[in-house]
Formats: sequence, structure tokens, C-alpha cells
Amino acid sequence: MSKNGDFKKYWQFLWRSWAIQTSWNYERQMNMGFLYGIAPTLDRIYPNEKDPQQLAYKKEAYQRHMAFYNCTPQTSAFTLGLAASMEEQYAADRENFNPDTINAVKTSLMGPLSGVGDSFFQGTIRIIAFGLGIQLAQQGSILGPILAMIISFIPSFLITWFAGKLGYTMGSKYLTKLQGGMMDQLMYICGIVGLMVIGAMVASMVGISTPITFESTGLVLQDIVDSILPHALDLGIVMAMYAMIKKRFKTGWLLGICILGGILVNAVGVLV
Amino acid sequence: MFVTSLILGFVGVFCILDSRLLGRLNFERPLITCTIVGLLLGNIQTGLAVGASIELMSLGLVVIGAAAPPDMNMAAIICSAFAILTDASTETALALAIPIAVLGQMIGVLMRTILSNLTHVADRSIEQGNFRRARSMHIVWGTLLYSLMYFVPIFLAVYLGTDFVQKLVEIIPTWLTDGLNLGSKFLTAYGIALLMSSMLNKDLTVYFLLGFFLVGYIGLNITAIAIFASILAIVLTGLKFRSGPAVATANGAALADDYDPLEDDDDL
Repeated sequence: MSKNGDFKKYWQFLWRSWAIQTSWNYERQMNMGFLYGIAPTLDRIYPNEKDPQQLAYKKEAYQRHMAFYNCTPQTSAFTLGLAASMEEQYAADRENFNPDTINAVKTSLMGPLSGVGDSFFQGTIRIIAFGLGIQLAQQGSILGPILAMIISFIPSFLITWFAGKLGYTMGSKYLTKLQGGMMDQLMYICGIVGLMVIGAMVASMVGISTPITFESTGLVLQDIVDSILPHALDLGIVMAMYAMIKKRFKTGWLLGICILGGILVNAVGVLV
Repeated sequence: MFVTSLILGFVGVFCILDSRLLGRLNFERPLITCTIVGLLLGNIQTGLAVGASIELMSLGLVVIGAAAPPDMNMAAIICSAFAILTDASTETALALAIPIAVLGQMIGVLMRTILSNLTHVADRSIEQGNFRRARSMHIVWGTLLYSLMYFVPIFLAVYLGTDFVQKLVEIIPTWLTDGLNLGSKFLTAYGIALLMSSMLNKDLTVYFLLGFFLVGYIGLNITAIAIFASILAIVLTGLKFRSGPAVATANGAALADDYDPLEDDDDL
């Protein structure tokens, strides 16, 4: 690939990482955002939709990137660059590359990258920029908001640009060396990290609790649950959803169960 | 008033699109948007003053993950507009804007639920091979719906006045808002379960539970989990694959030093 072509890719990683939240939704959060980010790469790899083989590959790749995803946009560029290079490797060597690794890598990275990204951009840069900005604005100077915008923009731009570039070049450089047994090892590592992160997500992102109290004894059910197994309700609901997915419930049904079930169960006073 | 409402509605669109299309460059913050409102309505000083005080109030609120607090960014735009248009003090204007912030939060929950449906339209489009439609669910429909989510409440609040908004907030029953809130948690659980279903197998179930228990009992955050998980995975890989025939070749051993750039295993 020419230098020019790479440059264009880095721009795509930057802009499409920034635009990742445009369809943020409760169910899979930034899934379509990630798909939109990687779509140019997939279109480049599988250009011929008339060829049934390529069309099938392309559908499979598009579907792969519709999975749950959530990450700080700036740092997410790293994952996008890496996933793009993995898709290229996979297309070049379908025999030896296990495509499940791609989503496993995405899932493993989104937690740490969000942690670093959110605390840096929301915790540090924002406080500096707006601490200064407020002070100047209180003195009646329009430089306040302008300065806050500049301080916010520069690190965001630089980090997104270099994160995308780094992810892509690292992927191209190291992943080509993966063969046979190596792939199994990577898959094993990604599986462990990915699933531990998903386990952590269940405990920290769902947040279901019960308001039930026993009036006669003054016991609060949630306290009892927490003392035995914290976040047991979150785990229970996720496992129930998992079981229904495995039983191949229709998606429309599941969505209906979520919304109507939420209203009903809440009205009865069992869960909040 | 119609034109003013229209203009302020578009300031709202600028505000929401900062976090949608520009990766949250902080252009959505009250200090910026109130100044813009001041600039457009011809009273920069009031815009700056209102912006600075709301910014100070909400600087501590950090939006992370799925949480939906009262929407201060939306309230700030309406608040500065009231302060300039009616000569109200910042405090009075803010008191008027808070019901709108609460309404904005409800609309946000509803909108993010509706957007789950776009995901399914995109799923179907991919199955039918209509890739352009799948992409447009994100970049066209997502942008449009989120823009409306800010444009409509701000336009109506400025055009019809705050009394109307307050009445509207009172009409919506709490069982509906609370129920939708629980429904949105169920949807999140469903999304996580979908992700699990693509990765979980018998051998790996213990690691899923390990991650869950480490957060539940010890209260570690996700970054800590990912770091410990990486170390654990590297140690286990060493035990599991060391004597494996597949990597016992000289070539394989040499490559093992740098085979995975994602983990800090250079020293191994």
C-alpha cells in the first residue's frame, strides 16, 4: 500500500473514531459506530459484490463488527486501526487466521482504553481547559471559552491520529508473524481477557437492584443480596438473556420483553 | 420569536453533535454554548457570565458509560437564552431550565432505546447485502435522531415558554419513566449477553465468573480487571503451551518473544 493510501486510512480512523457515538444505543452501545469505522476497510478488502464468495465474506465481516462495543472515541482509534489490519490479515490468509480473535481483541481493549481515555479527557484535560476558561470568562473575557476549546481540541486530535496510526502499523507488523500454534495462543489469551472484562462489565454496567423491604422485620432485600453475592441480580438478568439467546428467541420478542418487562416489573415494585 | 427559537434549536444541534460526530471535544459544554447563544442574541457578557456559573456547577459531573444524569448541556442553552431574553438572573433562569434538563434526560433514555431498533434494521440490511443502508443507519439516521433530540425540546421551550414544559413534565407518569429506565438496563444486559454468546465456551466460563466476582467482592474497576486478566492469561499460556509440539520448533520459540504486541511480555 502506498504512503498516500495509508494517509487516507489514518484520516478515516480519526474521523470515524470521533463519529463513533452517533448511534449510541442501550443494547449494543457503539456497535454501529465501530462498523461505520471499519466499513471502508471491509469495502476495500471485498470490492466485488457480484462474486457470491466475496459477498458472503463481506456479510460475515460486517456482521462481526455489529457486536457490543463501547470505548472513549479518541483511544478507540487504536482498536479501529488494529482491527482494520487484522481484517486485512484475515482476508490475506483465511486458512490460518481465526476471525473470532478480532472481536476478542476489541473486547479486551475497550475496557482499559476507556479507563485511560475517560480519565485523561474527562478528568484531566477538561478540568484544566475549563478551570482556566471559567476564570477568564468571569472577568468578562471571550478568550475564556476560546482557550477552553483550543486546549480541548489539540490533545484530542493528536491522540486520535496517533492511536489509529499506531494500532494499524503495529497490527501489520506483528500479526504477519502469527502462524499455526501462535494463533491458538493469542486466541486463548484474548478469550481469557475478553471474558474477564465481560464479567466485570456485568457487575459494573447493568445496575439493577430491588426495592423490596420486609416491613415486619425492617430487612432490606437488596442489603441481604449484596452481603451474599454483590450484583447477583445483574448476573441473573444477563444469564437469563443469555439463555434466551441460546434458545434462539426472536430478537423482536427479546426487545419487547426488555421494554414491556421493564415497565411491568418496575410497576409491580420488584426491580428498579 | 420563531426565528430566535429556530436559531437556538440549531445551537442545540451543534451541542449534541460535538459528542456524536466529534468525539466529545468539549464544545458541548455550557461555557462554550452559552457564549455562542450570547453571541447570536447580541449579549456576549450575559452569555459568558451564565456560561461560567453553569460550567462551575457542572464541572464535577462526568458522563461515563451508560448513565444519564439531568441534561445540563441542554439546560445551559435554554438557561442563557432566558437570561438574555427576559433579563432574569442566572439563578432564576437555571430554576426554569432544570425541568427541561430532566425532560431532556427522559428524552435521552427514550431515544437511546429507539436507537436499539436501528441496530436490528442494520442487522437485516447486512443479511440482505444492503451495506449502504447498514452504514446509513449510523451516520444518517443516528445523526438525524440525535439532532432532533436536542432541537425539538429547545425549540419548544423557547417558543412556548417554560410553563408549557413544566406542565408536560408533570403529565408524564413516573411509572412510565421509571419503567423505561429499568427497561434500558435490561437492554444493556441483553447487549452484554449477545457479546458473551459469541465468546463463551465451557472452558472459559470460569474466567467470566472470575471477572464478575473480582468486581463484585473486591470492587476493582474494569481497567484493573483487564491488567490482571492479561497477566493471568500470559502465565496460563506459558503453562499450557510450553511443552506443546506446535510451538516447540526453534522458529516458534524465537517468535514467542514478540508474538503479541498487546501484552507487556517483552521481558519474558
